[in-house]
Amino acid sequence: MRKNTILKSTMPALAMSAALVLGLSGCGQSGSQSSASEPSASSSSASVDASASLTFDDAWVKAADEGMTGIFGKVTNTTDADINLVGANYDGANMVQLHETIDDGSGSMMMQEKDGGFVIPAGGSLDLEPGGDHIMVMDMTRPIKPGEEITVELVTADDETIPATAVAKEYTGAQETYAPGEPDAASDGGDGMDGMGDMSGMSDEDSGDK
Amino acid sequence: MTSDPRDPDSASGRDTEPAAERTSSSAESAIAPGGSAAEDVTSSAAGAGEDSAEAAPTRRGFSRRGLIASAAVAGGVGAVGSLAGFGIGRATEANSPRPPRADTTGVNGEVAVPFFGEHQAGIETAPQAHGEFLAFTMKPETKNAAAVVRWLRLLTADAAALTQGTAPLADSEPEMAADPARLTVTFGFGQNLVALAGSQAVPEWLRPLESFSIDRLDPQRSTGDLLLQICGDDPLGVAHARRMLWKDSRAFADIAWQRTGFRNSYGTKGEGQTQRNLFGQLDGTANPGMGSEDFSRLVWGRATGRTDAVFSARGEPPTDLGEALPSWMQGGTTLVLRDIEMNLETWDEADRPARDFSVGRFVDSGAPTTGTDEFDEPDFTAVDDRGLTVISAASHMARARDGLGPEVQIVRRPYNYETGAGGQSGLMFASFQADIARQFLPIQRRLAEVDLLNVWTVPIGSTVWAIPPGAKDGEYVGQTLFGG
Repeated sequence: MRKNTILKSTMPALAMSAALVLGLSGCGQSGSQSSASEPSASSSSASVDASASLTFDDAWVKAADEGMTGIFGKVTNTTDADINLVGANYDGANMVQLHETIDDGSGSMMMQEKDGGFVIPAGGSLDLEPGGDHIMVMDMTRPIKPGEEITVELVTADDETIPATAVAKEYTGAQETYAPGEPDAASDGGDGMDGMGDMSGMSDEDSGDK
Repeated sequence: MTSDPRDPDSASGRDTEPAAERTSSSAESAIAPGGSAAEDVTSSAAGAGEDSAEAAPTRRGFSRRGLIASAAVAGGVGAVGSLAGFGIGRATEANSPRPPRADTTGVNGEVAVPFFGEHQAGIETAPQAHGEFLAFTMKPETKNAAAVVRWLRLLTADAAALTQGTAPLADSEPEMAADPARLTVTFGFGQNLVALAGSQAVPEWLRPLESFSIDRLDPQRSTGDLLLQICGDDPLGVAHARRMLWKDSRAFADIAWQRTGFRNSYGTKGEGQTQRNLFGQLDGTANPGMGSEDFSRLVWGRATGRTDAVFSARGEPPTDLGEALPSWMQGGTTLVLRDIEMNLETWDEADRPARDFSVGRFVDSGAPTTGTDEFDEPDFTAVDDRGLTVISAASHMARARDGLGPEVQIVRRPYNYETGAGGQSGLMFASFQADIARQFLPIQRRLAEVDLLNVWTVPIGSTVWAIPPGAKDGEYVGQTLFGG
C-alpha cells in the first residue's frame, strides 16, 4: 500500500510557489523552492535542476470541495536510468495513490491502483491525464479551489521526493469508475463522490481510449 | 466600390498621415480584375499607377517602416499588407505580380500575436475578423481580492497559451487551440473589481458615463466587473477560446452580457483597410495608425520618444494624456464600450444623398463630400453654390471633429453584430483612449447634442473599463493592481 505517505509536518512549510515544474531531488529541501522561477503563466517547462531525477510539467489538479480528485501532468525522467515512481504526497487528503485506468470491457474505463507504481524509462516520460494514469487523491481534508496552487510530491522507489506545484482547474471530466473489488473504492467512495464527479454513471466518459 | 481614381494630389495629401494602415490602402486596387498585384505597402499611391514612384513622402512619413512586413497572402485575391508589429508576419517577397491562388496551407492559422508585453494585445493590433465581448459579474462568494487573483491567474495562463496556439491546462479539446489565427484576449476591469484592491486604486473616471439624451440603455448591457475581448481571424478558434476562458471563469463569476461581433473576414480585404459597418459606411477612417506616435499618445497616454514623428492633420496630440491613468495602469488605457443599435429598416428609407449628407462623407468611397479619397482632409468651410457648407455642421463627421483640438481623438476598434434576418443589428463601438474626460467625452457630448446619424442609431449598452497593462512572462494580467 502506498497510502498515507503524507508528511503533514513538512508540507505546510513548503512555499506555495507557483512554478509549474520543480525538479528537486532529495527530501525536505523545501527551502530551495524559493530559488525556483516565478509562476509561469504559460505552461512552459522550468529549467531542470542538474540533480533532479524527475520533473513534473504542466501539473494540474481537478478542483474539488471534498471527497476525491485527480492530479495530472507530465512526469519526465531526466536521468539515464529507469525510475520507479511509487507514490505521491499531498497533505490535503488522507490517501494519495497512483492509479491506472483500464478498459473494463464494456466501453467504460475503470480506475484502480497501479501495483508497483509506474516505471518511467530513462529519458522517457509519463503522461498523467484524465482517462489515463493519474495521481488519485481521496478523503480530502480541505477544498481545492479553482486557481489554487497545491504542492505535491512525487515519491520514487529510492525514497526520493520531488516537490511540484499543481494549479487547480475546474474540470468535469475524469469521472472514471473504480474497478470492482478495489479495496479503497468501498472505503472511500461513501462520502466523497463530489471530487471526481459522479462515479456511478460514467456513461459518456470514454476519452481514455481515444 | 471605390471608383474614384486616386490622383497624385490626393495620394500625396496623405503625407501627413502617419497611419500605418493607410499605407496599405492601395490593396483595394489590387483586387481589380487582372490587376492583382502584390504591392509593397509603402507604395501607397499605386492605385493610379503612373505616379507610384512619387510615394516617397508617404514612406518617409511612416516612421515604423522597418516594422512593416509585406506579406503575400494567397487568400484568393493577391496581396495583403501585414504589420509585423502585431506578430509573426510571413515576410515573403511581395513586389512581384502573381495571379490569385488558393490558400492550400492555411497561411493565417499559425500567425500568433505575442501575449506578454508592455501593453495588452488586441488594441494596437490590426482588428481581427471576429470579436467576442464577454462581460462577467463576480459571484458574491468570490468577491475578494484573493479569489480574483486566482481567477486572473487562470485566465492569464489560458490566454497566454491559447494565443500562441498551445492548449491550456485541462483543455478538453486541445486540438482546437492549434491555429491561433491572430487570437488575442484583452482584459478590462470594471469598478467593482478594481475596488477589491482598495478604493484608492479606483480612478475617478471608472464609472458609468454621464447619461446622454440619446441613450436608451439596457441596464443588463451596461454592467460588468470583468471584460474579455476575444478577437481572432478564425471563428472556430475564437469559440474555443471563449469556452475555455468561460470554463475557468464560472467558478468565480456569472456572465453579465455578451456580444459576438464581426468585421471583414481574413483575406477579403487588405489588412488595415477600413471596414464597413452594417450601414455600409467605412468605419474607422480617422484612426491613427498602429505604431504611430499619435496612437501612443492617444491610447497609451505617453510619447514614444521618437524624434521623427509625423502627426495627422488633426495636429500634435499632447503627451500628458496618460496622467488620467493611475500608476497601476501605466502601459494600459481605457475602453469605452458602447453597444449601438443600428436601425437598418429606417436606414433603408434614407437614399444615398441623405446617407452621404448625414455623415459628411460619401458612403461608397468614404471620402469627405469635399474630397475624393477616403483620407482626404475634410474642408468644413467649403460651400456649395447656394452658399451652404458642403459638409453640414450637423453631420456626424463635423460634430465629431470640427473645431476640436488634437487631444480630442480616440481609437475606435468596432465590431458589427446582428442577430439574424430582421433581427437586431448594431455595432460594438469599442473606443480606446488614455483620458476619457479629455478625449472621449467631448466627442460624445457633441454627438448626443446633434448628429444627423442619431436618427438611425440608438445606444443600448454602455460600459467603461480600465485596461491594465500587459503582463510580463510569469505575471498575470492585473498584477500591478493586486500584486504578486
